[in-house]
Amino acid sequence: MRGQMAHLDAEVLAEFRAGLIAGRRGARITAHLVGCDRCTALGDQLAGVSALLASVPMPALPDSLAQRLDTVLAAEAAGSSAQAGAGQVTTDQDERGHAARPAHRATGRKQRSRPSLRLLSLRVLAPVAAVVLAAGGYGLSRIAATGGGVTASSGSASSAERAAGQAAAPSAAATHANSAKSPVVRGAGTVPQPRRLTPDNFSLVAGTVSFSAEPATLKRQVEHELRTAPPAGAAATAPPVTRQLRGCVQNLTHGASLVRVESGRFEGEPATLVVARTGPGYTAWVAGPDCSATSRDVLATTTVTPGTTAP
Amino acid sequence: MPDTPGPGRPEPSDAELLHRHVAGDTEAFGELFRRHRDRLWAVALRTVCDPDEAADALQDAMVSAFRRAGDFRGESAVTTWLHRIVVNASLDRLRRRAARPATSGDEQAFEALAAHDGDHARSTDTRLDVNAALRMLPPPQRAALVVVDMLGFSVADAAVILGTSPGTVKSRCARARARLLPYVAHLQGNRSAAERVQPGADS
Repeated sequence: MRGQMAHLDAEVLAEFRAGLIAGRRGARITAHLVGCDRCTALGDQLAGVSALLASVPMPALPDSLAQRLDTVLAAEAAGSSAQAGAGQVTTDQDERGHAARPAHRATGRKQRSRPSLRLLSLRVLAPVAAVVLAAGGYGLSRIAATGGGVTASSGSASSAERAAGQAAAPSAAATHANSAKSPVVRGAGTVPQPRRLTPDNFSLVAGTVSFSAEPATLKRQVEHELRTAPPAGAAATAPPVTRQLRGCVQNLTHGASLVRVESGRFEGEPATLVVARTGPGYTAWVAGPDCSATSRDVLATTTVTPGTTAP
Repeated sequence: MPDTPGPGRPEPSDAELLHRHVAGDTEAFGELFRRHRDRLWAVALRTVCDPDEAADALQDAMVSAFRRAGDFRGESAVTTWLHRIVVNASLDRLRRRAARPATSGDEQAFEALAAHDGDHARSTDTRLDVNAALRMLPPPQRAALVVVDMLGFSVADAAVILGTSPGTVKSRCARARARLLPYVAHLQGNRSAAERVQPGADS
């Protein structure tokens, strides 16, 4: 067929404009366009589609989602440290059944390409611990109201994790005087090595720290707490250890060696700090009031790695 | 060495951050994500067309990228690799959603989406229409158009991101543009005609 050709349909013209139609067919389309205002206008409109799409402003990542993802990634960092520790640090891990899992992950982790493995060889002698900040069952009514309704999740994020993002969001700007000292965890000598604790046998250290939802601040706070011996007589003033808290500690630490459980505050409400030994880093989770043996109500997390300096 | 950068030291490249992450630097991945998160979010949101599902997709993608960082071989830019993971996660979400019955919440979610990323009325209207039009597209075409026309990736990079050939990227984009044309033609140059149609004039 040569000579006259019917008007082009939009798809053919779009393909032609994308360079997908060459050769004789392309030449015919080119010739047709020269003499056809209608198809030329259609081509302009197609160009306009791209221009219109390019002009749509990009949405910014919502703050609440940014918080949630920070929490997830911090938990992931903690989890990979824990996994690395489980695989490699046998001298330090003999009492452990398995490593703590990141709060949001129910399924097993792939064994390949764990980020921490290479560094681990440098740190194999460093103390390994995870820090879990968990809200106890002390009437965190505001947080409960925030997190309580968030149960259904279609994704890999658990209800606890979503609650974490939501509950943490309002205090993104919160900082605390405790962060001012910005201590450094340098190695075994700086971290108190208390007697071995288990989720069934620990006493709650009475603390006064108001932990921040802001990851860098929380990290410094956790570092500071790790380097601070429990105050004398703390047991007398600490809240009682409830069965729910024991379940929470068990759930969060997953058999990792428990180092410390300390009461504190989060966004003005009572909370509990739990420290357990896992991978080459220390990890902090902030959990909500629903944290129990069956619910990982984590509000925030952070990690502290021995041998690095917090900025 | 995973030392903190000293003052005055230039920002590490994306590749350097990824390398540090693989080496065990627990901060590096977070910093890498913060650099690109708005664009990654845009890809997820425009591809999935549902804020909640897009948030889940982005989270899936970041967890996946975190874990698979060791697989990155530097054959593409780090951003290209990140976008690829987000697109894959987004399309996975859509496939899973397609396997479920249609949810009545879709329209509400869309309204929320349209309302949330608007600053002033005119551009909100445009975005509402563009978003509604994008939803008409089959997901692979939509993803291609989002990556090429909305985010401005080259066809070659888009092919990496979409895991297909450049020819397929061109073809998907071409068909998508043709398909969108009836829905968005009123937004280009013929806006006044579109605006004459006032909804809800009768009761």
